[in-house]
Amino acid sequence: MNPLIEVANLSYSYRAGSGNEVAALKDITMKVFEGELLAITGRNGSGKSTLARHFNCLLTPVSGSVEVDGLSVSDKCNVASIRRQVGMVFQNPDNQLVSSIVEEDIAFGPENLGLPAEEIRRRVDWALKTLNLKNLQYESLNQLSEGQKQLVAIAGVLAMKPRCIVLDEPTAHLDPRSRREVIKNALRLNREEGITIVLLTHFMEEVTHCDRMIVMDMGEIKMEGSPREVFDSEEKIINLGLDFPVSAKLAEGLRKQGIRIPRKTINAEELIKSLCQLK
Amino acid sequence: MELTKNITLGVYLPGNTLIHTLDPRTKIVATALLITLLLFIKSYLAYVLFLILIIAILIIATIPPGYAFCGLKPMLPILLLMWIFQLFLYSTPGATVIFSWWIFSATDAGLHMGNLISMRVLFLFTVTTILTLTTSIVSLTDGLESLLNPLKKIGLPTQELVMTMIIALRFVLILAEELDKIIKAQMARGVAFDRGNFIQKTRNLFPVFLPLFINAFKRAEELIVAMEARSYSGGKGRTKMKTLHMGRLDLLAGLFMLLFSVLVVYLILTIPPAI
Amino acid sequence: MPIEVNNLSYSYKKGTPFEKQVLSNINLKINDGEFVGIIGPTQAGKTTLAQHFNALLVPDQGRVIVNGVDLAEKKADLVKLRHNVGYVFQNPDYQLFEPTVGEDIAFGPRNQNLPPKEIENRVLEAMAQVGLDYDTFNKRDIFALSGGQKRRAAIAGVLACKPQIMILDDVTAGLDPGGRKEIINVIKKLHHEQEITTIYISNSMDEIAALAERIIVLNQGQVLFDDQTGEVFLHARKLIDIGLELPEVMNITTRLIEAGFNLPGAILSIDQAVHAIAASLQKGQVDA
Repeated sequence: MNPLIEVANLSYSYRAGSGNEVAALKDITMKVFEGELLAITGRNGSGKSTLARHFNCLLTPVSGSVEVDGLSVSDKCNVASIRRQVGMVFQNPDNQLVSSIVEEDIAFGPENLGLPAEEIRRRVDWALKTLNLKNLQYESLNQLSEGQKQLVAIAGVLAMKPRCIVLDEPTAHLDPRSRREVIKNALRLNREEGITIVLLTHFMEEVTHCDRMIVMDMGEIKMEGSPREVFDSEEKIINLGLDFPVSAKLAEGLRKQGIRIPRKTINAEELIKSLCQLK
Repeated sequence: MELTKNITLGVYLPGNTLIHTLDPRTKIVATALLITLLLFIKSYLAYVLFLILIIAILIIATIPPGYAFCGLKPMLPILLLMWIFQLFLYSTPGATVIFSWWIFSATDAGLHMGNLISMRVLFLFTVTTILTLTTSIVSLTDGLESLLNPLKKIGLPTQELVMTMIIALRFVLILAEELDKIIKAQMARGVAFDRGNFIQKTRNLFPVFLPLFINAFKRAEELIVAMEARSYSGGKGRTKMKTLHMGRLDLLAGLFMLLFSVLVVYLILTIPPAI
Repeated sequence: MPIEVNNLSYSYKKGTPFEKQVLSNINLKINDGEFVGIIGPTQAGKTTLAQHFNALLVPDQGRVIVNGVDLAEKKADLVKLRHNVGYVFQNPDYQLFEPTVGEDIAFGPRNQNLPPKEIENRVLEAMAQVGLDYDTFNKRDIFALSGGQKRRAAIAGVLACKPQIMILDDVTAGLDPGGRKEIINVIKKLHHEQEITTIYISNSMDEIAALAERIIVLNQGQVLFDDQTGEVFLHARKLIDIGLELPEVMNITTRLIEAGFNLPGAILSIDQAVHAIAASLQKGQVDA
């Protein structure tokens, strides 16, 4: 797989209220590969959001480099082209929706790209269809639930036809049902439309669906690998302020009772399958 | 306690009526016309005509009149005060004194002036509310942008101005909702917003503003970042999905407004003013 | 200090074209010392219901009676009531009003016009209860706090009013797992040690299953179930139908039951699940 985003020795610091420099990222080196579903997790304030904001030029490195498809984010000339390729969805839908009507909000991004009216129309219709929002097309945004608003926000980014979508804790304030809906759609965009997805999240159940994960703490990458590899050590994960997926906890508990569940069982499907074989 | 309940300004009441489907430019120009007329009206008969027009529009647009006027509620004390001032302080030579008290005396001229000015404010507010109730923010701004287009030639950043307006209007409601939350949180810890006299209530409002402004700034900042992330970089190079176009209905509405204006102007010119 | 709700109905934006009935004909009673969870799909009316318990909202119809006093009565002392029935909101940014942690926690007691010494004591005590060290945090800038610390400060601000009932409205939303655990431990401790009646609104079924003794399920403004936690989760099918989820562990056990395992219908913790599955497997082997 080709790397789409390449981060090398990235450091970033900001000035806190007291005037002190606070290091938010320390010497980060990582890659996002074309077509993958990458989870970045870590406790609040671990630096994951700061890192992700470098991916589409909302922040530029203090030192080190970030390149998107070979273009450096530090070069002002690349900003427009990078933002076309990497879209971003934020935590609170109310703070990212510009318009008051669903389809008009989705059109905002393509309009900024200066596309002709028919092309914008086509893309808006496509985004509405892809995320099953057709029935909400003309709704007023303040009549929607938070979960629906978040799907509209994703549609707004999708209509720009990016190669990569960064989702910055998109489900943090949603109810479980909407959360599942948002994640299901993110997975589908990845599998069916081939869009690279970077998912920032605190929910371990969501992480288990990803191809690869990165755990951050104190501005550094602490763990990296497939969920199966990372969720091998419960103690380490807990010390990083995170949790173990329930399936993994249950598997661990059953192993302690002498029941032969394979190690590295991290999701419900695998656990149920192993248990059914034992029956 | 629901603060947002009585806010009608900036609220859009979705619908499919004749009024809703008019081109926003028609509605904006009509509103501007009505506002101009209101500034010159000095007779009760003209106000009666206005009232009939407004009620007709409300009925066509299926807006419950009670709702259209409830935004006025918070303004009533100020209006009353204004009315009293006019009643006692305005007078013309030869005006008849209705009654007097201590050094104040009320004349019929003052009474008429008070009436006319109060009605003017009420009508100005209602006309603008009808515009926002029947026109979504986006078409409102599209219309404004198109009307302001000639000004672009003299270097005015019309697109940016209009974008600022969209966001400002969106924030009216957001701020009202936030205010509601903050006031509830303070009530929950023993501040008596819903009890006490006017002065106490006003004083209680002060600690509300700190969190309100901090949150408003935070939200505005997040919105700017989100807009930037969606490739917004000012009006330059931006295109539109929808283009406005006027239809036969707009022509009819325009003609009707013209007739109405002629009638009102005729009244202004021929009927001697009430004062 | 029991809460009694009789035939409560409430509409949002009453009298406008946006009017929407949120609660209809609610009847319930919450007794002293209970830990009650309130759950329901979005817009089921959870927050609206809870805001009636301390008269932040006034019923259109029906009555809310706290400690024998009807809250709609003119002579009801609402300021005192709101100190007795504390309310912690979801977003701490809306409920921290003062520049420093200590001053903010003192906000409630100051509204009671208590003597300075007493206020000081209350702040000390409240900070200890939520595990914020006084010397470190008393003078700390509100904005320098992490998400979890802000929520603890918000809880302390309510505790300083010495409530007998505490309403927690989705207070763990947006926190990381570590932060969630901290807040949950604080709430558990308060309920056990201070015997505060706790009303816990949450979207997280895992938290509800772990904390609540009794659950009220709201759906479209009506009470669907009101029962012991174990009993409510027996209605798994119905809960899913109205748009709720099950606790994560039950997502697994329910599917195991479908696959022929002999397990109890409601399982609320991982330990419980481990033992039930182990027992079921052993029995299966004996049968075979």
